[in-house]
Amino acid sequence: MALQEIWNGTISFSLVAIPVKLVRAVETGHVSFRMLHSKDYSPLARKMYCPKEEAIVPADEIVRGYEITPDKYIVITDKELESVSPERSRTIEILEFIDIRDVDPVYYDHPYYLVPSKGGEKAYRLLVEVMGQTNRAGLAKFVLREREYLVAVKSTDGALSLITLHYSGEILPGEDLFPKEDKIEAGEKTRMKKIIRDMTADFHPDKYADERRKKITKLLEKKAKEEGTVEAPEIEEEVEEGVVDLVAVLEESMRKVKEHR
Amino acid sequence: MPGRTIWKGYIQFSDIIVPVKLHTAVHQDRIQFHLLHKRDRVKLHQQMICAYEKAPVPPEEQVKGFELEERKYILVGPAELEQTGPEDGRMIEVHEFVKDGQIDPVFHERMYYLEPDTTSKEYHTLAGALKETGTAGICTWTMRRRSYLGALQVNGKILCLSTLRYADEVIAVKSLELQKTSLSEKELKIARDLISQLSAPFQPQKFENEHQKKLQALIDKKVRGEKITLLRPKHLKPTAPDKLLEALKASLKRVA
Amino acid sequence: MSKKIVDAAGRRLSLSNLNKDLYPSYGFTKAHVLEYYRRIADFILPHLKDRALTLKRYPDGTEEEFFFEKRCPAHRPAWVKTAEVHHKEDRMTVCLVNDLETLMWVENLASIELHVPLARAGSPETPDSIVFDLDPGDQANILDCAKVALILRDLLFQMKLECYAKTSGKKGLHVYVPLNRKEATFEDTRRFSKAVAEVLQRNYPELVTAKMAKEQRTKKVFINWSQNDPSKTMICVYSLRAREKPVVSFPLEWGELEILNKQGDPDKMVIMHSDAVNRSEKNGDLFREMFTKKQKIPYL
Repeated sequence: MALQEIWNGTISFSLVAIPVKLVRAVETGHVSFRMLHSKDYSPLARKMYCPKEEAIVPADEIVRGYEITPDKYIVITDKELESVSPERSRTIEILEFIDIRDVDPVYYDHPYYLVPSKGGEKAYRLLVEVMGQTNRAGLAKFVLREREYLVAVKSTDGALSLITLHYSGEILPGEDLFPKEDKIEAGEKTRMKKIIRDMTADFHPDKYADERRKKITKLLEKKAKEEGTVEAPEIEEEVEEGVVDLVAVLEESMRKVKEHR
Repeated sequence: MPGRTIWKGYIQFSDIIVPVKLHTAVHQDRIQFHLLHKRDRVKLHQQMICAYEKAPVPPEEQVKGFELEERKYILVGPAELEQTGPEDGRMIEVHEFVKDGQIDPVFHERMYYLEPDTTSKEYHTLAGALKETGTAGICTWTMRRRSYLGALQVNGKILCLSTLRYADEVIAVKSLELQKTSLSEKELKIARDLISQLSAPFQPQKFENEHQKKLQALIDKKVRGEKITLLRPKHLKPTAPDKLLEALKASLKRVA
Repeated sequence: MSKKIVDAAGRRLSLSNLNKDLYPSYGFTKAHVLEYYRRIADFILPHLKDRALTLKRYPDGTEEEFFFEKRCPAHRPAWVKTAEVHHKEDRMTVCLVNDLETLMWVENLASIELHVPLARAGSPETPDSIVFDLDPGDQANILDCAKVALILRDLLFQMKLECYAKTSGKKGLHVYVPLNRKEATFEDTRRFSKAVAEVLQRNYPELVTAKMAKEQRTKKVFINWSQNDPSKTMICVYSLRAREKPVVSFPLEWGELEILNKQGDPDKMVIMHSDAVNRSEKNGDLFREMFTKKQKIPYL
């Protein structure tokens, strides 16, 4: 599986800098459907559309705007955005190491993996080994696209994973939810602890499968057999100029070849 | 303010039943940008565009298809998909308990706070039992016609429910094809010492989203028509593999 | 271990395990392999010259495990010519088989198959030729490849391009279009070969596919255009293949291919080691135009 690189730069702690790439750690396991046009079953694609010109807008004509008053925007360029925290856009600088067990899961936002770039393999492996042995995670801040993230870098199964964390200001206080503590019956708690101990096992996530996904797959198999498929019209791929000529010439040559054969 | 109640259910294992309400635990407030057309700054919308007609398609003309082979689709209607949805229930069934720290953060998706519903005695008993056994409950439930895998944990005195990703949604480390490299005991030891020197307790409130503030400042500056100085991103020079030990030693000297 | 010191072009070379059966079902030893390459040397060496060799070694014969070796083994004699190449982000030293003694040394390592890139080591981004790797899917065979090759020849001829065919030595055929132009790039050769493959697929959907997916290849010939890539290698013309029998990747004249296609006997397209030597000595190198013919990719 080719893993698409989301970002590349260096991860550093103290005087050690390791070249790395950021890649995805999760992929949606849902059965992926495509949206189709009910008229001709051709696939639909999400595109940016200008309501005024009623036209699809190509990527190079799109800019990023911040709304100051309704319908009035100022444009922020990529360079300006990068300029906001220039020291963090290409570097994940570990500020300190923490015990990963101290991080409440409520802080976890989204996981990624880091993989070493050329020349970084050894220092990468060292960080994986030592953090794994000591249950430590590196705490860092870094900027990815439009946002700055607080991240924990830890050792996961022999790789470095990077978990973006919520800022503490984004965590809602939970305490208010709870009325005064009821008296706990010691006997009941002891009984519950025994049940928990009896039910304790190792974490094997692969035991649990998404039942719905299985059902959808079954449904698709059944429909494929009973109803068959619909067919979308063939769509000429948009090709650059020059190649258009080549394809035209090839088709014309092919026609001549067929005549003679 | 805690988030609003989004769902009610019962935690269940063995003969134990604990009624709970789910609340969101996180609220993100981030600067929002819009995408504009460069020449006239008209705000753009995302539209579903037909690949054949190259024109927007209204929602009533959109259907779902599964691509069986190139350009050949099995059509699936909303009613059929509905049938595959699990029966909604109210039970959060705990299947087993695992020791704290066994669930790697890569599995965590989203967390909810649990509030006791109708009665709170069982709630507090369960919170205490989980804390004293140092475990988390692995559970499944169905909410809004989706089946969830989750972890029931205690945080202080509060019970929390995290949704977990299914195993096949997490990319296996094996597929990263990492190379094995050998490390000397010396390198490991110095790195261990260095990391221990650089360790601190986890205090998330120390970290503010400074970037967001700076970004807001930049926007304000632009609104006032002031000039923006562009700074180039800083690149760090990677440590060469043969200089690793040296860099570790120098680092340790600096912090020790 | 049996060792023998021989004299190859004035250089002393120690050959080992000469009695090792490299094709055990057929009875073809390492000595036979060395003898084949010695006799075919004049024909194969120009095609190996200055190209980064990928060794495909079968230390225990063709029926046992093999391994690829892109790096030139460190224990090489001092006189083996090498080149430094960049492969993605890697730098490595590769062997150049430019003379008989290196060929003998490489064969002594049981590198039965010799694989080389489409570009020379000195100009790794400049392909000398375009290749169309015709690979039959399940329930298709080399005769289907021959049909596709003949259509491909006619199509390229319409575009004023000469091309040359060889057997892969396995189940397929390879069609080459020599370019020999400094300005050629892999981007161009890939674009051109892909467009050609897709046109053939559109016009002969029952016979041809340009798609890699295995399930789409059943009963069809897959035109693997993606071989036109600086990191890919092709089996060198005149190289032995590691099958049960010592079969050679051997050039065929178009006239011969037409006749073989009409006769419809796939076995006649299997060229054995002895035929390869006899035919080459009689007809010369049918692939000699590969180094001299200058052609330009049209309409790019």
